[in-house]
Amino acid sequence: MNSVFSNKTAIAIFVLPTLLIFCGIVLVPIFVSSYYSVLDWNGVGKGAFIGLDNYVEMFKDPRALHSIRNSFLFAAASIFIQLPLSLLLALILASSVKGEGFYRTVYFIPVLISTVVIAQLWSKIYNADYGLLNTLLENIGLSELAQDWLGQKKTALAASFIPTLWQYVGYHMLLMYAGAKSISQDIFEAAKIDGASRIRTAFAITIPLMKPILKVCLVFSVIGAFKVFDLVYVLTGGGPLFATEVPSTLMYTTIFNTYRYGYGSAISVFIILECLVFTVIINKFFKTE
Amino acid sequence: MKALLKKSLSIILTLGLAGSLAACSSDSSGEKSSAGSGSGSIKLKLWDQSVGNTDPSAKLLPQIVEKWNSEHPDIQIERTGTTGEQYKTKIKTSLAAGEAPDLFYGMGGGSFMQPYIESGNVLEISSYLTDDIKSRMAPGMAEAIETDGKIYTLPVYTHIANLYVNTELFEKAGAKIPTTYTELLDAVEKLKAAGITPALIGEKDRWPGMYWYDMIAMRQAGNEAVMEAFKDPSKWDSPDFVAAAAKMQELAKAGAFNSSMLSMSYDEMLGAFNAGSGAMMFQANWVNAGIEDPSSATKGKVQVVPFPVFEDGKGTATEIFGGAVDGFYISSTTKHPKEAAEFLMYLSEQLGTQGYLAGAGLPSWNIDGLDTSSLSELDKSAADIMKTATSFIAWWDNILPADSAETHKNLIASLLAGEFTPEEFCKQMAQLKPTELNL
Repeated sequence: MNSVFSNKTAIAIFVLPTLLIFCGIVLVPIFVSSYYSVLDWNGVGKGAFIGLDNYVEMFKDPRALHSIRNSFLFAAASIFIQLPLSLLLALILASSVKGEGFYRTVYFIPVLISTVVIAQLWSKIYNADYGLLNTLLENIGLSELAQDWLGQKKTALAASFIPTLWQYVGYHMLLMYAGAKSISQDIFEAAKIDGASRIRTAFAITIPLMKPILKVCLVFSVIGAFKVFDLVYVLTGGGPLFATEVPSTLMYTTIFNTYRYGYGSAISVFIILECLVFTVIINKFFKTE
Repeated sequence: MKALLKKSLSIILTLGLAGSLAACSSDSSGEKSSAGSGSGSIKLKLWDQSVGNTDPSAKLLPQIVEKWNSEHPDIQIERTGTTGEQYKTKIKTSLAAGEAPDLFYGMGGGSFMQPYIESGNVLEISSYLTDDIKSRMAPGMAEAIETDGKIYTLPVYTHIANLYVNTELFEKAGAKIPTTYTELLDAVEKLKAAGITPALIGEKDRWPGMYWYDMIAMRQAGNEAVMEAFKDPSKWDSPDFVAAAAKMQELAKAGAFNSSMLSMSYDEMLGAFNAGSGAMMFQANWVNAGIEDPSSATKGKVQVVPFPVFEDGKGTATEIFGGAVDGFYISSTTKHPKEAAEFLMYLSEQLGTQGYLAGAGLPSWNIDGLDTSSLSELDKSAADIMKTATSFIAWWDNILPADSAETHKNLIASLLAGEFTPEEFCKQMAQLKPTELNL
């Protein structure tokens, strides 16, 4: 049996089925989309080849640029709000508090719920007429703060960030928690003997040793922010007046509401490239450090 | 080791080959039996979007399909229902991929089906239609379904948009049901003073707000001017349409619409109106069934009236927004066009007449001799309004080319939010593409 597993051709055969499926549902569509993105095509019939015009249009279209800006804001919010929060929770949980398993489960529950359910839930929380948030504000005497959270340009973007940040805090927390738990107890004991405080231990030992897992979390959360779709789509549909539009919702409306398959594909290719470039940058950043 | 590789490869290949052979053989045998003696049965796939809780078609469609299946053992229909927006995406994707079902529901009257008709994805059915079936359609329907002299679909229902007013709330506020624009503004003021939201718009979905502007524009400029502007968009930038946009903004500024309109969806709007949280709603008669549903708090308290006319407008109360003909289409890839057309005729007429009686829509078929006593007041009034019609303009987002329809809806949302002046709005409207349809 050992000889089979050390044999390169045998490995190749065993990997083949997964590889084929991966190519079929990931790689092939990417190439097909790239092809569509150089066409002027309405989804049926024959498209006309127009070169890079779709990409040029995208970088001139204020609506597309606005959606890209929104996705960058989203990524920033993920990095500077979501990840620190997850890290804090992970460190607290990993330092063997009481009810560790209970809290771990509770924080992870949002990850398990479907995003559409979460979006529906939060749209009821934000509802201007009978929403939980407005009712709460009115009951504690802050009724002047009660407003149409998802219906105003100035609040809609932040309001649609919060549910996603909230949903994935548990996910990143669990990754970081696993990373923190896998650090050898000997090191912590040594730190204890040297008289290091808990906070000092966290910054001098736990976090530096968690660097690989932090990198993974960073990549996941940045990419997740760039390709967020379902939550924004259900919560606001990109509205009001494009205030919460992100590239993926713009891609969807371009393709399915205006029948511009070529332009929509160009946006999707842009999202893929954006994700790849940022993954490389983050990896480089962690290597040089 | 090489031997192992060769062996496993050959096994995989054999398995794959056997699998594909098996798949082929089952397919071809199915076809043979259906084309041959007739003892086997033809299976036709039907996709539709009638799945709503209060949608009478959702109850009728399965019954009609079941009845057909029991009467025609040799032509069996398999039905799949998908809800509204998802249905649109689903049918577009499958048409683009050339995997459309034999029969499917299509939003009629314009830009939704146009590209598929042009590209030959939809079957031309004139040759399958009998004179008998044509004579059973309501007057004018045979012309309404023609596209460039060809027929691709049969009518099911007609829908027209009217003003729905909650009489209880109007009485409470001491307001009069408006018949003119001045009365409308007056009613808005009185309703507001009584702490009642005058009108509801689910502007998150953008088309409910579009209905308001489109209707206002038709009252202001008249249907004829609107038809001309569809063909020559530069005409959108004319005093009448500026005045219409100004009226729309005037209503918004007067507080006629719910303050949460930009975050309210169409479904939430219906829910709010049925719960009595707003006094007016401008919608088409597909909302009737929901209002008359036993679960609705406004059951029996709602009246349907023509949209108010404008003192300075060129439009009249008999110029009607709506009249679009939705219907079922046959995919050009179907293997059994004759049988599919037979079922199409049966389905369209049955659903059209039975659905009218159940309150799903106004009839596109001859209804003489039908017992209409079961119809609700709303359906009867809507049908009466339709009888007075002198001209129809269907939903603008179906008439305009798809990307212009999107722009049109977005512009109206901005107008409602006060982002544009009426003049700017009309300048932008003049940038739309002309319609490709024969109006």
